[in-house]
Amino acid sequence: MTMPLLVTKRMTDHPADSHTIDRYEATGGYEQARRALTLTRDDLVEEVKASGLLGRGGAAFSAGLKWSFLAPARPSYLVINGDESEPGTFKDRQLLERDPHQMVEGIIITAIANEVHHAFVYIRGEYPKPARRVQQAVDEAYEKGYLGQGIFGSDYDLELTVHLGGGAYICGEETALINSLEGLRGEPRLKPPYFPAAKGLYMMPTIVNNVETVSNLPHILSMGATGYTGLTDSADTGTFMMSLSGHVNRPGNYELPHGITWRDLIFDIGGGIRDDKELKAWIPGGASAPWFVPEKHLDLEITKEATAAAGSMLGSGAVIVMDEDTCMVRAAERVVRFFSHESCGQCTPCREGTTWLEMILRRIEEGQGRAVDLDLAIDVSDGISIDLAWPPKMTTICPLGPSAVSPIIALRDHFRDEVDRHVAEGGCWFPGAMKSGGATPQTPRSPLVTISSTAGRSSQERLSEGDRE
Amino acid sequence: MSHWSEATQERARQIISRYPEKRSAVMPLLYLAMAEEGHLTNEGMEEVAVWCGITPAQVQSVASFYTMYKRERTGRYLVSCCTSISCMLLGGDDVLHAVEDESGVPHGETDDEGLLSVEHVECIGACGGAPAVQVNYELIEGVTPEKARELVNWLKKAKPEVVNTDEMQQLFGGGRSFDWAITEEGGAVGPYPAFQPLGTVKTEADS
Amino acid sequence: MTDQPNLVAVIINGTEHQVPAGEMLIKAAQDNGTYIPRFCWHERMNPVGMCRMCLVEIETPRGPTMITACTNPVADGMVVHTENPAVKKAQEAILEFLLANHPLDCPVCDKGGECPLQDQALAYGPGESRFVEIKRNYEKPIPISDLVLLDRERCILCARCTRFSDEISGDPLIEFKDRGNQTEVNTFPDLPFSSYFSGNTVQICPVGALTATPYRFRARPWDLQKVESSSMFDTAHPRIEIHSSQNEILRYVGVDNDATNHGWLSDKDRFGFEYLRSENRLRAPMVRRDGRLVEVDWPEALDIVATRLQLIKEEDGGQAIAIIGGANGTNEDAFALSRFAREVIGTPHVDATVGDSLSTHFLAATVDRALISDIDEADTILVWGPDLKEEHPTLYLRVRRAAQELGKTLIVVHPAVTGLDDRASHKLSYRPGGGHDLLKDISSGVHDDVLEALSAAKVVAIVGIASVADGAQLAESVAAVARQNAGSAKILPLHRRANTNGALDMGLAPNLNPGRQAAPNPGMGTRAIMDALDSGEVRALLLVGADPLADMPDPRPARAGLEAAEYVISLDLFINESNADVDVILPAAGFAEKEGTVTNIEGRVQKLNRVRPAPGSARPDWAILDDLASQMGYSLGLASAETIAKEISESIPLYAGVTHDHLEWEARDGAVVPIDGGTDFEYLPVAIDGPKTPGAQLVLHQARTLYDDGVRLRNSPSLHPLAPGPVVHVNPSDAPGLGVKSDSTLVVTTAHGEGRFKAVVDDKVPAGVVYVPLGQAGGAHLGTDPVVRVKVDN
Ligand SMILES: Cc1cc2nc3c(=O)[nH]c(=O)nc-3n(C[C@H](O)[C@H](O)[C@H](O)COP(=O)(O)O)c2cc1C
Ligand code: SF4
Ligand code: FES
Repeated sequence: MTMPLLVTKRMTDHPADSHTIDRYEATGGYEQARRALTLTRDDLVEEVKASGLLGRGGAAFSAGLKWSFLAPARPSYLVINGDESEPGTFKDRQLLERDPHQMVEGIIITAIANEVHHAFVYIRGEYPKPARRVQQAVDEAYEKGYLGQGIFGSDYDLELTVHLGGGAYICGEETALINSLEGLRGEPRLKPPYFPAAKGLYMMPTIVNNVETVSNLPHILSMGATGYTGLTDSADTGTFMMSLSGHVNRPGNYELPHGITWRDLIFDIGGGIRDDKELKAWIPGGASAPWFVPEKHLDLEITKEATAAAGSMLGSGAVIVMDEDTCMVRAAERVVRFFSHESCGQCTPCREGTTWLEMILRRIEEGQGRAVDLDLAIDVSDGISIDLAWPPKMTTICPLGPSAVSPIIALRDHFRDEVDRHVAEGGCWFPGAMKSGGATPQTPRSPLVTISSTAGRSSQERLSEGDRE
Repeated sequence: MSHWSEATQERARQIISRYPEKRSAVMPLLYLAMAEEGHLTNEGMEEVAVWCGITPAQVQSVASFYTMYKRERTGRYLVSCCTSISCMLLGGDDVLHAVEDESGVPHGETDDEGLLSVEHVECIGACGGAPAVQVNYELIEGVTPEKARELVNWLKKAKPEVVNTDEMQQLFGGGRSFDWAITEEGGAVGPYPAFQPLGTVKTEADS
Repeated sequence: MTDQPNLVAVIINGTEHQVPAGEMLIKAAQDNGTYIPRFCWHERMNPVGMCRMCLVEIETPRGPTMITACTNPVADGMVVHTENPAVKKAQEAILEFLLANHPLDCPVCDKGGECPLQDQALAYGPGESRFVEIKRNYEKPIPISDLVLLDRERCILCARCTRFSDEISGDPLIEFKDRGNQTEVNTFPDLPFSSYFSGNTVQICPVGALTATPYRFRARPWDLQKVESSSMFDTAHPRIEIHSSQNEILRYVGVDNDATNHGWLSDKDRFGFEYLRSENRLRAPMVRRDGRLVEVDWPEALDIVATRLQLIKEEDGGQAIAIIGGANGTNEDAFALSRFAREVIGTPHVDATVGDSLSTHFLAATVDRALISDIDEADTILVWGPDLKEEHPTLYLRVRRAAQELGKTLIVVHPAVTGLDDRASHKLSYRPGGGHDLLKDISSGVHDDVLEALSAAKVVAIVGIASVADGAQLAESVAAVARQNAGSAKILPLHRRANTNGALDMGLAPNLNPGRQAAPNPGMGTRAIMDALDSGEVRALLLVGADPLADMPDPRPARAGLEAAEYVISLDLFINESNADVDVILPAAGFAEKEGTVTNIEGRVQKLNRVRPAPGSARPDWAILDDLASQMGYSLGLASAETIAKEISESIPLYAGVTHDHLEWEARDGAVVPIDGGTDFEYLPVAIDGPKTPGAQLVLHQARTLYDDGVRLRNSPSLHPLAPGPVVHVNPSDAPGLGVKSDSTLVVTTAHGEGRFKAVVDDKVPAGVVYVPLGQAGGAHLGTDPVVRVKVDN
């Protein structure tokens, strides 16, 4: 498991200034971008295909293959997805903050490979510090002539705009991201088309890639596809970042080779469970992923296939660990609450179903649960994600809705008795049982952003005045 | 016929010039509108509508989709406590209740002086340093209920012109998601993100 | 739609169907007898796939998959299941979700009984709901405009209303707000949904979330009688269904007529029925006795009129009697009037256009007349005339769609900003009165991009009077330029009164015989008639649903003529400006009070039907004229609208075969005349040249608005308040110089006259131009000369 760090190497070796252009160039930065200018689109696409680089945004789709789908129409656009909002995930934050030039170079390479002359980095609004670092890096790159007109003295132009989100997880979904960038509501678009590479930003061919994905590109170019695939003998090539959180002794981001097991990750790398408690369950790939339990999954390899075969996914690489003192109903409620809060509201099943599930779980946790409630929750989930199958059979436009049922699957498969006991004992016996404090879904979640009915009222006043005239 | 300051109008022009189509500038312009008036007013949305060539109803439709465009009077310090799964597992709810209790401001509300607004939020990407709190989106990781109370009192007493993530992390933070390595000047002056193109990054010196 | 699309095979529930490639599954299924339940999908709007009610299962290599039928086009060999257990389960789930937060107030909901949600809940629903939590609640109905109320609790967020106002009518004033479970539809504070088309959202709302103030709580769907007809406000005659109960009209509903309105109606066409039941309707014949109008019975009234007309005729011949009007009734009425004029009176002085229209020759010319559907086929559409949004709402929607959805090149020429400008590829404006100069510039290539667009293979030129000062000839010159440059140009001349084309076809113009044939010895038009009345050359005048004082751009001759006239008779629904002190008033039956046919702006004949009795003893024009004729000793032999229509179809080649039967059974979308009516009426060559651009520093733009003080609207309580009233629009850059602020009162003076108007500072009018909407209550007549002076009144 000894393996060179790639995307986190510079920040590890030079913590104090890994984000500056001087350090970046002093450690070989921007050489690959220069080289890319001498290569053809085909060379680059083939190289990246051959490297087996998988998207790190959650869908784990081959980056090179996606590039090869780019439709011929021009202009084409590139959008870097830095909306990182999936509970448990904080890897992109570190890459943005600690090594922004690495991403900028990756962007230049991707742009050249896809004949893009205007790229965007979409960073979630709650990440002002990472956004500041990226803007600083972009400004430096412009000054040096690495961005703008005729980059690196070539005749290739590339504009790069840093765009700040407004607080909406769904804007991480690539078509919602594009709508958001167009100044529309961040609602996912209808599929087909399945890839923005066909029709994306302003209805033009668009590549959407994750921050970590493009941060790998300078390394892939420098070591070559073979060098990169050679790093590990697992099916998935290269390294990947995992965000470890919850009840482990050493939470944090870890850049790892594919092919280690969950036991290695949680007990070795993560230093085991706090206060030597027992491991009860973990979420293997961000809040969307169905949960794993030690009895079944501890020795599975951490690869795309192995995880999928076990009915879950690596998703955004976020691992959330829960110890024996964790109330599974409360944990489920919290994950479901997230999705109901973040639902864009387009699809009936997601909009109504996620809220309904949240309310059912809260009732159970707070002691008003009924014997029928778990089965009701399973039925409701069924309406969002048919048969609770994996991968989900969605009744919705995008996978957010179906993601909300993962905790229900966990309760059904592993923790039914815990739910029943909540019902039987009229509530929760775990420490710090939930008070009915959390925002209730049927009332505006943050009154700060919701002035519902004011519009109506004032136009009502206006009209009644009108009537009097 | 704009009622924005000349400086803000100049920023608006610059921001719009960064996008192929002006409607794309609606989100940054909404932040400008907030920076101009402390929160997003109807006048602010009407102004943005003119800049982007759409109707106020369309601007409202976009603004109301997101959580960070505050359309109600908001305090000078917006305290956001994460209660999503990872923070909740490590006591995020207790931190929230400590903040609510110490400030006397419940979730989603603002005190009478217009100093503090409190809200609980979904995951803010600090799960490795849970529980996490943000003040005007400047992050503090590894916050305990006790530290949270100190934070509230500090904001009330010191009334810092600029809130800076590194300073607050040192005063009230604990374990972090990763090594922040260095400290930096500069931070936020209101309940909107501190970001260069918005002209909202300030240092104590500036103010 | 004419050329046969290539077909693909889909298997729906085991049966194979041949369907047009690329068509949405939901439509293909529907056209082949399989109804897939839906809420958000609407045939005339882009799909959003939001409600998820139309989920069906298709077979794929990777096994069965659920897709929404409204967002997925058919593919060859597609195997679809719309009723299998999986689909049924999904449908039940969606309905349970929709009903979870939907109030159970059907008994007090206007939609109750015609509610897709209610119906589909019964047909596909799970029975009762397992949702035990508290439902979402909002403040009960809030008015979002003067005509529409919004009940957000009932809304199922199908985005039909928001899409309509955004994609179809082009005023996105009602939008989604907030997100997820909080999502609602709403307007911006203090910015109501003041769209001319707001009523359509009420019609397409699949629940009772949007309701119309004029209809609210008035009836339950199940005791409504429903009869098809066409609206007689809009020159396109949009197809409507009249819903009535106990002989009272309660509402109009748009009918999707492919040729005209696609189901949409302007609010004027939708809510403009209240005047019919107005207190002010004329109920009995009235004759003037020592200065006052007194009611008499029909025999007496007819006897008095007949005797007097007979006398004048014997003394000075039929020439001494003139007739104005006839363009607001049916073709049958117009035909009766035409025969009455020729056979009974024997006068050539007949004019239905009341002197405020394009030349009757131009209107009657039939070569290259454009159909409304030609707009969809054109490469370039030229609109040089009134703001279509204000005067021809159905055409406005069609042109807008052509530009926006079909990507047609659109040229708009108008003195001010129009409703189409945001979709126009080219927009030119000019100072009222200066149209000819601009036209010369265009044809000499000054605006080469416009000339190039005009030189496309297929051009449709929609021409009319954009501004009073333009006069009637400009439109003809524009048409001529279009014909010179385009590969093939089709012309759609815009007229005002709803049945002008029908009236002209029946020969109600001084230069026309029935069937658009040239009259050998033409008579006088309205203006000349008025002068002749003044001079005494003409002694008597018959006004048929006409109000020249209100309509003529320069009413002075009309006033002189009416005052000087020896004898004036008016057939009408109401007392108006012109017939207030005539000698005899004969009460006429109005819209929906009589059967008949009408001919729209493209020459499409459609049938109107009767749903309510006329008030008092009011009768159809044709019946009145038939009796009057026999009183005078002639027999027109008019028995019924149906037999008159038959007579028309036999005596006028254009109308050959266009009988009531034909329209009711074969031509449901109407029959277009002239198909090949064998009339030789051609456009006259006209000079491009005309009056010069006025040099004055301020010029006056006068044009009509959708809502005004016309007698029908004046008697429609819901709509009349929406008229702008006596206002004058001033450009912001002119305002300071004139010392004008919004709401200050201005004195506007022209060579013709002077009036007081409320100022509106408005950047939609160009600098150096002031705009005064015509026909507003309390608005003074300002005549046709564009030179104007404006000063603040103090
Ligand atoms: C609900 C939802 C949320 C998502 N959030 C993110 C995100 O925060 N960051 C991200 O990179 N990708 C996210 N994705 C995946 C993107 O849609 C897209 O697949 C990805 O950005 C493509 O980049 P990649 O191929 O480099 O991974 C999300 C997808 C869904 C359905
Ligand atoms: S599934 Fe949910 S988040 Fe995704 S589009 Fe539908 S409503 Fe929006
Ligand atoms: S009708 Fe297809 S999703 Fe609504």
